[in-house]
Amino acid sequence: MFKPFERIHRTTVIMLVAIQVIVLLSIWQAAPVGLIPSPLRIGEALGGLFTSSLLWDNVLVSLLLTLKALFYSVLITLVFSYLSVVPFFRPLAHFIVKCRYLTLTGLIFIFTLLTRDGSQLKLSLLVFGIVPFFTTSFLSVILQTNAQEFELCQTLGYSRWQSLYEVIVVGKADQVFEVVRQNFAIAWMMITMVEGLSMSEGGIGTLLIKYNKYNDLVHVIALQAVIFGLGLFFDHLLGRLRHWFFPYTKL
Amino acid sequence: MTIYSKGETLLQVKNISLTYDNKCILSDINFSIDDIIRPGIQQGQVVSLIGRSGIGKTQLFRILSGLQKPDKGEILVRGCPENGSPKNITRFPDSANICPSDDEPPVRSGKPWTLRPVHAGDMGVIFQNYYQFGWRTVEQSLRLAAHQNKALMGAENDAILEYAAQFDLSDVLKRYPKQLSGGQQQRVSIIQQLLKGSDFLLLDEPFSGLDVCVLDKVVSLLLKVSLSHEFKTLIIVSHDIVTTVAISDTVFILGKKNGLEGSTIVQSIDLMERGLAWQEHVQEKKAFTETIREIKACL
Ligand SMILES: Nc1ncnc2c1ncn2[C@@H]1O[C@H](COP(=O)(O)OP(=O)(O)O)[C@@H](O)[C@H]1O
Ligand SMILES: [Mg+2]
Repeated sequence: MFKPFERIHRTTVIMLVAIQVIVLLSIWQAAPVGLIPSPLRIGEALGGLFTSSLLWDNVLVSLLLTLKALFYSVLITLVFSYLSVVPFFRPLAHFIVKCRYLTLTGLIFIFTLLTRDGSQLKLSLLVFGIVPFFTTSFLSVILQTNAQEFELCQTLGYSRWQSLYEVIVVGKADQVFEVVRQNFAIAWMMITMVEGLSMSEGGIGTLLIKYNKYNDLVHVIALQAVIFGLGLFFDHLLGRLRHWFFPYTKL
Repeated sequence: MTIYSKGETLLQVKNISLTYDNKCILSDINFSIDDIIRPGIQQGQVVSLIGRSGIGKTQLFRILSGLQKPDKGEILVRGCPENGSPKNITRFPDSANICPSDDEPPVRSGKPWTLRPVHAGDMGVIFQNYYQFGWRTVEQSLRLAAHQNKALMGAENDAILEYAAQFDLSDVLKRYPKQLSGGQQQRVSIIQQLLKGSDFLLLDEPFSGLDVCVLDKVVSLLLKVSLSHEFKTLIIVSHDIVTTVAISDTVFILGKKNGLEGSTIVQSIDLMERGLAWQEHVQEKKAFTETIREIKACL
């Protein structure tokens, strides 16, 4: 267990994680640090949240917004990434990648002018924030393409467009899930920020801001735990979906 | 002594040179492969390119396949100028006809053909690592190739099943490349390129990394392919002299010549002339042993 590259059994892994979590929580409980509430109180707050419709309504709002944003982001990312192999469109794709360095805060005003209402503003800000990260990841996937994949296409007598379809569109389809999975955190991080801009529709971000305002640290951390849990769940789900749609990724 | 004569030129290699970062790898490579005519027999041929490791065999292989442009020279292949290269399908003598519409024997003359520069896709290419798309099952990979062959139109599935049975792959059609053994991967690559229907089959080191049982199987498979059609031409690039020479009709030796930096063809050996082609148990012949010794001296 303490040797590098040692293989351990699945149940051992679960036990190991459980013990580490319990130990960590016990230390936290036993030695409270300043204003940070203890795990038990957070647990209580969580219990309260789970039984209230407040949490679930807001989680649902945020989830729907995130899924919508992810859908559009994936679509836009794919179009520009596929086109990036055509030299004419390459500068555009690389510009999108560089947009990572644009902070959204300065652009909020422009987006407010460009969009009709709050929900549109939130969606477009999210998409604008997510796409550069997706594109960066997916372009690196494309760049890592083994030259032999194209050579096999050539030996099969494929045209350039057929090769693009086979190697990039079909061959990298499973990677789309991986890209979404690895960048899901960005969407999740931005949702709290974006929801703060237009609070009327609610959402987990709005909830977080409200608790923050009242210095309700117990609920803030409880909510963080919910966000963390949801993140883990999506991470797992996307991994599962990838294996399910593309069985060869399991090999 | 077997009677044979040489016919049309099927492939011509003209003044090929290749340089990498001012280092000359190949210089002035010239040879040609002619159709071999044996009265009353329809069969292709096996040509081998032998040389020691690092001499530039794989580079020459890539140039022959049209995947890489040489710095100088050109590769010409036999093809009809009007309707592209004639696609024909391999037929094993002892098997059911895969393509019933293509029954007549190939016309030796009278058909308009010329030598034209090779394109990637003209040749059947089997890479040393038998690369296949990791996201396609064996069956899907084979179908991709079959769809490229106009002669197979509508009969793709039958052809795939037929080949799979012949090559002992029926059980693994639904598997992905990662789930295959090296030998199976090699056979998948061979069938894939055969289904594509080109006359030429280029193989880079087909005998390396195979155990003795699989080796014998591959050797007899390659022979079977070479016998299946008049213009079927196998070009085997290898450093395994004995195995390669045993199934070859012609051997070209890639080596160093005095005064040239890059490798070139230092000798060509016509095994038919020496009575070493189309023979079973050729390894036991004295002339064979002498030829092997002669080749080794050239490397
Ligand atoms: N991409 C490359 N750039 C520079 N040199 C190369 C490259 N590929 C191969 N070479 C050189 O070409 C020579 C021949 O290589 P290769 O054709 O692979 O030999 P082999 O006969 O073993 O197949 C070697 O000396 C190798 O270092
Ligand atoms: Mg090599």
